[in-house]
Amino acid sequence: MTTSTLGRPARSELTFRQKVSRFDYTFSPFLYVAPFFVLFALIGVFPIAYTLNVSLYDWHLLEGQGEFVGLANYVSILSDPFFWNAFGNTVSIFLLSAIPQLVIATGIAALLDQAIRGKTFWRMSILLPYIVAPVAVTVIFLQIFNQYHGPIAGLLELFGLEPIRWAFDVLPSHIAIATMVNWRWTGYNALLLLAAMQAVPRDVYESAALDGANKIRRFWSITIPMIRPTLIFVVITATIGGLQIFTEPRLFDGRTYGGSDRQFQTIVLYLYELAFPRRDFGQASATAWILFLIIVLVGLISYAITRAIRTADVKPARISAASIGAQQGES
Amino acid sequence: MNSSRTRIAASVAGIAALALIATGCSTGGGEGGGDDKVTLSITTFGTMGVDANYEQYMEENPNVTIEATNLEGGGAARDDAYAKIAAGTGLSDIVAIEEGWLGTIPDDSFVDLRDYGIEDVKDSWLDWKYDQGTTTDGKVIGAGLDIGPQGLCYRGDLFEAAGLPSERTEVAEYFGGDDATWDRFFEVGQEYVDNSGKAFYHSPRFFWNSFVNQQEEGYYKKDGETLNIEGNDVLKDQFTKIVEAENDELGAGLPGWEVGPEAKAGDFAVYMCPSWMLGIVQGYYDEGTTDSGWDFADVLPGGAANWGGAFLGVAESSEHKEEAAKLALWLAAPEQQAASFELAGPFPSTPEGQELVADTTSAFFNDAPVGEIFAARSEGVIAQVKGPEDSNIQDNVFGPVFDRVSQGEVTDPDEAWDEAMELLDQIVG
Amino acid sequence: MTATVTSPKTPKPSKSPSFEDRRVVDAERRAKRKRAYERPGVLTYALLIAFFVGSAFPLWWSFVIGSRQSSDTNLVPPAVLPGPNFLSNAMKALETVPFLQGLLNSILISGAITVSVVFFSTLAGYAFAKLRFRGRTGLLLAVIATMAIPTQLGIIPLFMLMAEWQWIGTLQAVIVPGMVTAFGVFFMRQYLVDVIPDELIEAARMDGASMWGTFRHVALPAARPAMAVLSLFTFMAAWTDYLWPSLALSPRNPSVQTALAALSASGGQNPDNAMVLAGAVLSVIPLLILFFVAGKQLVAGIMQGAVKG
Repeated sequence: MTTSTLGRPARSELTFRQKVSRFDYTFSPFLYVAPFFVLFALIGVFPIAYTLNVSLYDWHLLEGQGEFVGLANYVSILSDPFFWNAFGNTVSIFLLSAIPQLVIATGIAALLDQAIRGKTFWRMSILLPYIVAPVAVTVIFLQIFNQYHGPIAGLLELFGLEPIRWAFDVLPSHIAIATMVNWRWTGYNALLLLAAMQAVPRDVYESAALDGANKIRRFWSITIPMIRPTLIFVVITATIGGLQIFTEPRLFDGRTYGGSDRQFQTIVLYLYELAFPRRDFGQASATAWILFLIIVLVGLISYAITRAIRTADVKPARISAASIGAQQGES
Repeated sequence: MNSSRTRIAASVAGIAALALIATGCSTGGGEGGGDDKVTLSITTFGTMGVDANYEQYMEENPNVTIEATNLEGGGAARDDAYAKIAAGTGLSDIVAIEEGWLGTIPDDSFVDLRDYGIEDVKDSWLDWKYDQGTTTDGKVIGAGLDIGPQGLCYRGDLFEAAGLPSERTEVAEYFGGDDATWDRFFEVGQEYVDNSGKAFYHSPRFFWNSFVNQQEEGYYKKDGETLNIEGNDVLKDQFTKIVEAENDELGAGLPGWEVGPEAKAGDFAVYMCPSWMLGIVQGYYDEGTTDSGWDFADVLPGGAANWGGAFLGVAESSEHKEEAAKLALWLAAPEQQAASFELAGPFPSTPEGQELVADTTSAFFNDAPVGEIFAARSEGVIAQVKGPEDSNIQDNVFGPVFDRVSQGEVTDPDEAWDEAMELLDQIVG
Repeated sequence: MTATVTSPKTPKPSKSPSFEDRRVVDAERRAKRKRAYERPGVLTYALLIAFFVGSAFPLWWSFVIGSRQSSDTNLVPPAVLPGPNFLSNAMKALETVPFLQGLLNSILISGAITVSVVFFSTLAGYAFAKLRFRGRTGLLLAVIATMAIPTQLGIIPLFMLMAEWQWIGTLQAVIVPGMVTAFGVFFMRQYLVDVIPDELIEAARMDGASMWGTFRHVALPAARPAMAVLSLFTFMAAWTDYLWPSLALSPRNPSVQTALAALSASGGQNPDNAMVLAGAVLSVIPLLILFFVAGKQLVAGIMQGAVKG
């Protein structure tokens, strides 16, 4: 590498260019990936890691860092009935959204997986809600799920039924919030499932049809098994998104942090309440880490399940994580 | 594919162009230039009526532009203030602070208004209001705006239908006048419920709140640090009475807030009304309504009590402390307090301001002389020391328990009290 | 956009006709196609229409109420036709909260984030897809692993960091944390790995092109379709975000979402629903335009990203 420059200008010039070139080829790739890693370390990894540090201290929003308390914040979170209430609400809202969403999305995908007229129109039409931000979704559905006025109240009144206290009773509030999530995400997931369905080789259907299997039977014994990886993928992303739901319950009753009696306070909302109104950064950070661990656990479990299925399946469609980013924004 | 790609490119370019325009437009906020022109930002909350005065100030001070933001609800304002105080940036020059969380704010985040001449006008405020805005070491961080003396809003038409007196002085007398007690209040409530078959009040939250505010020491001892709840027989006794009243179905089992439709439907007949609440009750109805049946009486069970009231503070992070302090003090002066009251209903914390509004009547409340009544209701108010978690305890300890009680989920007073104490431990402990 | 995606619009004929009668083959093929992709019946369209109505109704209804008056929410049966008041309601919304400022801020924020994410993702995605360097596999695995990290759980230290930098209340407090995403890098890598032939890079190298030159003249043009899709998703994600902007911005300098949230609360006990819904419609319009312009790409992006055969 060390070349003498004296007396041999021509060669030295060449070497210099070669050196530059080699340098270019060796280090450019690092330069290209560096901005991502540096920035992500700062805005993605550091905050999560530092959360762990904060969670080990008495840490007040306004007064700053206090004493080291070890795991005391975790102990007090895990023994706080409000945490478990928030956990239960989160799971309940998740189930109320994931199950109908999956069923309907699969159904819609199956409908679209035919030689349908106006294919592009239908695909776009089911995606329409996806472009409406959670804040706007909540603002709009607040008017629909209103105890006193709006379409639902009107309908109930028409049939002489008692009004429903959407923002006050536990189950109705969960249903209302789950509906908002479903409305925004069902079409999106239907498209994912539709893509999976279309990847199923047509000759499989054809030979099944020749064997006399009817439409419904073909759906259950071919389509569903073949798209199972995508189904699982949808469930996983919905779970990770659902565990972090915030905007809808936050704004469903903006004066409170998830209801006057925490009827629909979710985990992230609980975290928010700890961090800001109650100004306890230490406990809020502990909550963040508990939720982080829950999400990691969910991720690992689903990874295991997917693997098991992958080895069991003949020709699994490989899932790319294309929509993780999109669905992670769900909050 | 290709043409649509061009279209995407075009729309991205359009967005970029808009962004450029935006950069041009968004330089207006915050920073005043080198010359005399100055933009002062102010953040208020709820229906404070401070905005009644902005125009006049800008006319009298042409170099000043007021950039006002009003947040709905004290909670949103409080959370935002906390976050921005902690961050040290992002606060408005002038921030409205609620009595309930004034005590939680670090003293050094707001300027000492003594440096800007508040002592010269100290006498214009009620003493206790001025003292509330003063920290333990004598700094004055808040200029008092309004106070929350409480009277009783009631439905004259429903009272009459239930065979109770309906004229406002008679109503006041019926509840015991100056010697009105909570026991008498529950008695009258029982009578109303028996006669009408309807609930008397909407939720026990407000009455509890009034009661706590009537005590010499509320949720905290006078030092503002020691809790005063566990083992406090006075509180527990009242708590028990409320649970019993709930068991007797005096309450309508409604949430604390947002009960407009039920109010209109006559599902309850009384409402605790600090001055700022008048605007809220009125807001349940269409503008210009005068036949709602609501009236306003000069009485409060258990004696005078203050509920709420705001202050204006000048942020230490402000770049225009001098001008901001001038504006804050002006907005908190008697004439401006009176103008705010006329617009939105919060009652002046200055005797002079109170005099200015003494003749005010309310068409909505059956022409009740509200100015006069509030002046009377503010006599004998105890300036209670608030602790750091005061509003938390109110909203997150007793609020939910009373909700559960009024839903019939808990009926035993001791059990309910124990639940509250558990919550208290959780929230504050 | 990925070459491997099955596009089943026209099932390929399994074998070309040889000596048989063409018409017979065609008929056979048609029959097969019919079995594979049946022409749906009325029920299918009925269900799709029902789903479409469900998808569109809330938006339409908010425009209907937003163009009428608040008390019209009470109508039974519900109002379905717009009224004349949309502009006046929208104007009221603009006066009640700094909505216009919010719209402009959101355009700035989302625009800056999009440019940054797309640029850095293409750069890194290209390096991962086509360049050899030590630790490439390991680093790529790191990218994939971080994709699942729920970054919104880091808001507390992020808040402390932004406070330290005195950024709270400014737009950069929202822009900077959004500047890169692991998803973007992975997405671009997956696309570029298939779409650029290795020989092309080799050839450029032989010609003495610098790495940067190769990136600019070979990779960038090839990456454009994926960059367009990534821009769409990134812009939308930034536009619709709420939690972090609600903490990092201030009410007087909001994003479109925090402004809408404030608008929704503005009436307190007596909200002006028509105004609020007009505001909601305003907040949706920019993305609605994007949707009409590029909805097809959005659909394709979701579907093609979903499955790689």
